[in-house]
Amino acid sequence: MSREAVTSGVLELRGVVAGYGGGDVLQGVDLEVEPGSITCIVGPNGAGKSTVLRTVSGLLPPRKGTITLDGKTIGGLDPAGVLQHGIVQVPQHGGLFPSLSVRENVLMGAWLLRRDRSLVRRRYQQVVETLPVLAEWADRKAGNLSGGQRRLVEFARSLMVEPTVVLLDEPSLGLDPASLRQVYDLVKLLNQQGVTLLLVEQNVRVGLGAATWAVVMESGRVRLAGPPREVLDNPEIADLYLGGTITHTGRV
Amino acid sequence: MTPAGAAVAERAGGRSGVPRWLRPAVITAGVLVLVLAPLGFTENTYIQTVLILTLLLVVSSSGWNIISGFAGYVSLGQGAFIGVGAYTVGILSRHTDVSPFVLAPLGGVAAAALAAVLGLVAMRARGHAFVIITIAFLFLMQTLALNLQSITGGSAGITLPLPTWSRDIGELPFYYAMLALAVLSVALAAWIRRSKLGAGLLAIREDEGKATAIGIRTPAYKLIGFVVSAVLIGIAGGIDGYFLTFIDPRGMFDILISVQIVLAALLGGRGTIWGPVLGAFLLQPLSEVVNNYFGTRLGIRLLVFGGLLALVVMLMPAGIIPTIRTAVRRWRERGSVVPFIEQPVRRAKPAAAAPPEEPAVPALAVRVSDREPVAERPPLLEIQGLSKRFGGLTALDGCSFSVREGTITGLIGPNGSGKTTVFNLVTGIVPGAGGQVRFDSRRIDQLRPWERPALGIGRTFQITRLFKQLTVLENVVAPLSHFSLRHLASGGTSGAEAARARELLDLVGLGAFGDRTAGTLSFGQQKLVELAQVLMLEPKLIMLDEPAGGVNPSLIEHLADLIRQLNRDGISFLVVEHNMPLVLQLCDPVVVLAAGRCIAQGPPQAIQRDPEVLGAYLGGDGSATQGLPEGSGAPQGGAPVGRGGPGNPRGVPR
Repeated sequence: MSREAVTSGVLELRGVVAGYGGGDVLQGVDLEVEPGSITCIVGPNGAGKSTVLRTVSGLLPPRKGTITLDGKTIGGLDPAGVLQHGIVQVPQHGGLFPSLSVRENVLMGAWLLRRDRSLVRRRYQQVVETLPVLAEWADRKAGNLSGGQRRLVEFARSLMVEPTVVLLDEPSLGLDPASLRQVYDLVKLLNQQGVTLLLVEQNVRVGLGAATWAVVMESGRVRLAGPPREVLDNPEIADLYLGGTITHTGRV
Repeated sequence: MTPAGAAVAERAGGRSGVPRWLRPAVITAGVLVLVLAPLGFTENTYIQTVLILTLLLVVSSSGWNIISGFAGYVSLGQGAFIGVGAYTVGILSRHTDVSPFVLAPLGGVAAAALAAVLGLVAMRARGHAFVIITIAFLFLMQTLALNLQSITGGSAGITLPLPTWSRDIGELPFYYAMLALAVLSVALAAWIRRSKLGAGLLAIREDEGKATAIGIRTPAYKLIGFVVSAVLIGIAGGIDGYFLTFIDPRGMFDILISVQIVLAALLGGRGTIWGPVLGAFLLQPLSEVVNNYFGTRLGIRLLVFGGLLALVVMLMPAGIIPTIRTAVRRWRERGSVVPFIEQPVRRAKPAAAAPPEEPAVPALAVRVSDREPVAERPPLLEIQGLSKRFGGLTALDGCSFSVREGTITGLIGPNGSGKTTVFNLVTGIVPGAGGQVRFDSRRIDQLRPWERPALGIGRTFQITRLFKQLTVLENVVAPLSHFSLRHLASGGTSGAEAARARELLDLVGLGAFGDRTAGTLSFGQQKLVELAQVLMLEPKLIMLDEPAGGVNPSLIEHLADLIRQLNRDGISFLVVEHNMPLVLQLCDPVVVLAAGRCIAQGPPQAIQRDPEVLGAYLGGDGSATQGLPEGSGAPQGGAPVGRGGPGNPRGVPR
């Protein structure tokens, strides 16, 4: 994809409290996402990892605390407002329009730019270059794609707005080994182009393998952050939250 | 249950925000007031009339709530059953001298019979089509009443005999009859809500496709729900006809009555037990006040109804009671910590949690007595030449394999190779395929989807499909292992079924979460709830669609232990999974699909080395079995993992 390296500023969460209904899932999250990094959040189920992404992308307003991008407050903006700042979220699942074709679904990602048709066409070309398999699927109905194929299309769609920060909720979910590699190659490629990636991953080996910064969450707080290798080597963390030795050796 | 879990359960127990003893006390007091109050003004027949009409609205709105609130099938023709009841009583009383009060139950019978006929037709439709059919039914009844002059008296209507009792007691007999019916209909609604039938109706409202996948016989449920919702309305209609002493097609089949029924339930809270009651007590008096103030001529009442409907939809779409309930819950839980699970799945049964005589896995259907070699066990599930096309896309192309009894069979293959389609065809939620499916030596591909879970086939979904608005417990009691009226009437969220559901929730480590709304659980937790849900069916075969996807590694190990434990107790598994280390340690044999065909089948060690499998699925080199993207020519090159590769020009942050 030919594009200028547009790099975001630092994405910063300070004391963020958020939740659904009455209770708080996030108990005061402090997190810094450096520009140009691949930051991967890991942790047990229900620790609030996806909720962090939802508060950043504006799907869930924080109750307390601040979220800033490059010093500008984005906490409390609606999703469209957050998108204007170049932050786009690829949801965990269920974002495609099943009766539209794959091409239409991807083009839908450029809804904000729909008036500039040549730009939309150019972006679509770029996205197809990045993910050539899209050309093959272009005319299929999205509803007929398998779960893993849908993930790739969702990812591709988010690229139509040329984001500077991409939030990925479990990119590995439902992907076969080949597609998994494709998605993570794409993650690294985007990162080389200057895009900041914040991802939540249960497939710890893959997620931390690609990441440049690791964040461990527990009960709605950040328990530990550091270079992935340090996190993987922390025996307590590995034992408690990463499934023990399975993270390193791929124990069979 | 851990102490923290117990605290959660305790807090969740008082969900409505009312102390336990208060609820029956308030209900008793309310009924007492309604019983005694009219005695204070026996002279004032106006107030009595308003109260009678209010109670009629309580009965009809509660009835409507069963099919439209619980099951989600909105009927705009429910008022027709008032007319049916009234006409039944009117026509019969022309020919007999029996008191119309005695005849009123026959009005209920007539309403139920018509509801059954209408139900057979209407239940094939969903959404807007269903609404339109019910409106058409209302007008059809009106037209019949107008045109069958010899029976109904046509537009002139029917005049019933005047009441024979002393004028001193006014309309009190009508009042008490209607009050009894109102109490009955609220009790009926409450009972259904707690029963197996109610759990199924709610499941249908939330996700009808998923409901069939857990054995809920949806047409029967909907039909029963529709008939039950009509029967008390019919009886009340009979009493209403006698009370009015004059029945005519325009008055009895007025669509406004149906609108009022719907509005009362929406106002108070659709799908709740007390919502229709509250709505009726607000709406009917309001309607009277408006009529008195502006007169009936101008149709101001219609404006008020319309305005009210708009307000409800805009300000509190859920209705008064749910809105208050949510606000109270939020206020109580403010600032509280939402619990999460660390080590949820129990390896062994802790002594304190379950009664000692209960086994950790309760009463499973079958038990494989001897561990015969895999190859000699009979096939439990046999798939032969299965083919399925979606439009121009071939999802399955003559796929054949089998799952032998007592095995944990793995099913792997690239995205789009047809794994989930196999699941959908075996469970029947996607129809019309070529080939055969046999289960327990019986051909099942022609069976209806809800018949198959009853044979012992359970499945989970890749993207979990829980009933998100329902509680975790309601989700787990919803599955129906066998269909009988007695089973339907048995307790759902209370009694034996609920106890079993709680045991299964304990088994998957979510015992403390029974009263939480399923949609608020994390993705991994929802997967475990779906497993507990499937276990309610006492299945012989469980088909898991990516059980480890989105689940934390530490939890995956427990999940694998749980699957093995269930397998030892006799349940066979068919597992679709991309996590190869998990497949290799859990499954034997492993079946490989590619492009809709079975390309290999065998023990995991052989599969791992099979060149065809490596080419089609694992991506050509051995590293793929580790699920790692490294060594795949990724642009990161030889950069050490996590040390700020080329994509991180500023190096490691901080």
